[in-house]
Amino acid sequence: MSGRADAGLVVVLLAALAGGLLLGGPGASPGQALSVLTGQGDADATAAVLGVRLPRLVLALAVGAALALAGAALQSLLANPLADPFLLGISGGGAAAATLAFAALPAAAIGLVPAAAMLGAAASTGLVWWMARGPLGPSPTRMLLAGVAVNAATSAVILAILALAPSPRLAGALAITMGSFAAATPEAAWWLAPYVAAPLLVLLYHGRDLGLLALGEESAAGLGVEVAIVRRRVFLAAAALCGGAVAFAGVIGFVGLITPHLCRLVWGYSPRRLFPRTALAGAALTALGDLAARSLLAPAELPVGVVTAVIGVPFFVALLRRSP
Amino acid sequence: MLVLALSWAVAHSETPPLLDQVGHRVETGTARRIVALAPDVAELAFALGLGPAVVAVGPAVDYPEHAASLPHLGALDVESVLVWRPDLVLATTAGSDPRLVERLRALGLRTLTVDVTSCARLVEACTLVAAATAAGDAGAELAAGLRGRCAEASRRGAKLPRRGALYVVWWDPLIVAAPGTFHDDLLRHANLSNLAPANAGRYPRVSPELLLSSAVEVVVSPDEPDARALFARVVATAAGTRLARGAARVIWLPADPASRPGPRLPEAYVALVAERERAP
Repeated sequence: MSGRADAGLVVVLLAALAGGLLLGGPGASPGQALSVLTGQGDADATAAVLGVRLPRLVLALAVGAALALAGAALQSLLANPLADPFLLGISGGGAAAATLAFAALPAAAIGLVPAAAMLGAAASTGLVWWMARGPLGPSPTRMLLAGVAVNAATSAVILAILALAPSPRLAGALAITMGSFAAATPEAAWWLAPYVAAPLLVLLYHGRDLGLLALGEESAAGLGVEVAIVRRRVFLAAAALCGGAVAFAGVIGFVGLITPHLCRLVWGYSPRRLFPRTALAGAALTALGDLAARSLLAPAELPVGVVTAVIGVPFFVALLRRSP
Repeated sequence: MLVLALSWAVAHSETPPLLDQVGHRVETGTARRIVALAPDVAELAFALGLGPAVVAVGPAVDYPEHAASLPHLGALDVESVLVWRPDLVLATTAGSDPRLVERLRALGLRTLTVDVTSCARLVEACTLVAAATAAGDAGAELAAGLRGRCAEASRRGAKLPRRGALYVVWWDPLIVAAPGTFHDDLLRHANLSNLAPANAGRYPRVSPELLLSSAVEVVVSPDEPDARALFARVVATAAGTRLARGAARVIWLPADPASRPGPRLPEAYVALVAERERAP
């Protein structure tokens, strides 16, 4: 089962890569895109495929991997199947700061929006951690409650900004709250890479610890897991993943919640097996979602968050119904 | 029998009710206290000579000078409107919350909503407001002037070569005006074929790749400080390479008339045609 499932994942990922480069835009037909990939395309088709679609594809893959990994890590850490980057307020903090920056900065400084999102995500991460601290350190329950509170606060901030934003800016500010890869650049993909790679290494390093934490904190501590340190590192890794994703693509829902569940149904609960496959599945799901978002009403674009939900939820329900 | 028949005929020959451009019935009669919720309807009221009756305007109203000096509503809500005790509220589908208009109507206020999606609809809106306020001749005169300017733009535009075009209302994310908007009508009067998708709403967000399509020969955009800065960012990316090397011509229109479907809109029609005549 595992070998076939791995092969299936590779096929889906390759389909997402091919589709992302060959389809889904008015700048180059599939034939023209193929010519570009074989080094024979004209200047405009080359700009469309290598300048627009490739960075967009890379960013979608990286953001999808980041969100799915963050969801898997938080669900393991908090022992809560509903935990995802949004529930803990991290994405909300990034989105609130990005929306504020977009609405308030002069147009020439719009390039600073990702930095603002990163700062917002870091601030909300710190706030959740600070609120969750009790006499015995931050417990999963306190972290979830703190996250819900921060999430509610950031949602209110976003709504206030949208209500007060000058009308020409409203569309851009809304785009942040609905997610988009339309503004992807090669630089954005490079910037995001360390925010995915470093947390992935942290999560793989603590994979065994997270597996033991699933048995309960006391049992894990009895087996040598330094619970407080693991919790802090995993939480920060998840926060970095969410912050990076929101900074460069806005808020994209469901990937962080659904992908880990899908992967658990196929590959089981071992974090060391689960995390790399979750990252790849999240990358494929998000890239396919973006392909659908720019293809269904082409050349108009749908919010990618809408498409990931439409793709992910029925698939998730079907797998859930078939599982024992 | 004959008397009965004549009575029936008279009873059924009443003037049909006046409907605004979203289909709501509008009572006619002189307006003494007008609140104009949006810039285009405020301009329309002043152009019809109703300026002395306008008591308050929406937050974004800044033209003409007298309108700009009137009290501005702090917020577009029922209370802010009611405090001015208006006997007519002018609204627009381009910038007024329809729920606010519905609420005002439910409270018994006379409202009139215009929905300007073309020059013809602008002329109709002008006639409608004039009829509703018994402004009579001023309406006919203004309507004739607007009709004449649009016809002039259309006549001159017809002599220009047909080109594929986009009207970009926002550069990042890329948002364009679709068929069915007054921006689309603006393009058509200049003999430009709108390449925006027709199946995704009035102002759809589109793929930046659309700027790389060889069908796009002209790009029209309102000249605003934000638009220029964001355009510069787009041109620096791969999606802007055709614009950067001049393969598609970019025409900047004065934002004020081009972004407001009010009585100065025909100036934008003529300005676009004039720009095209300069370099067809």
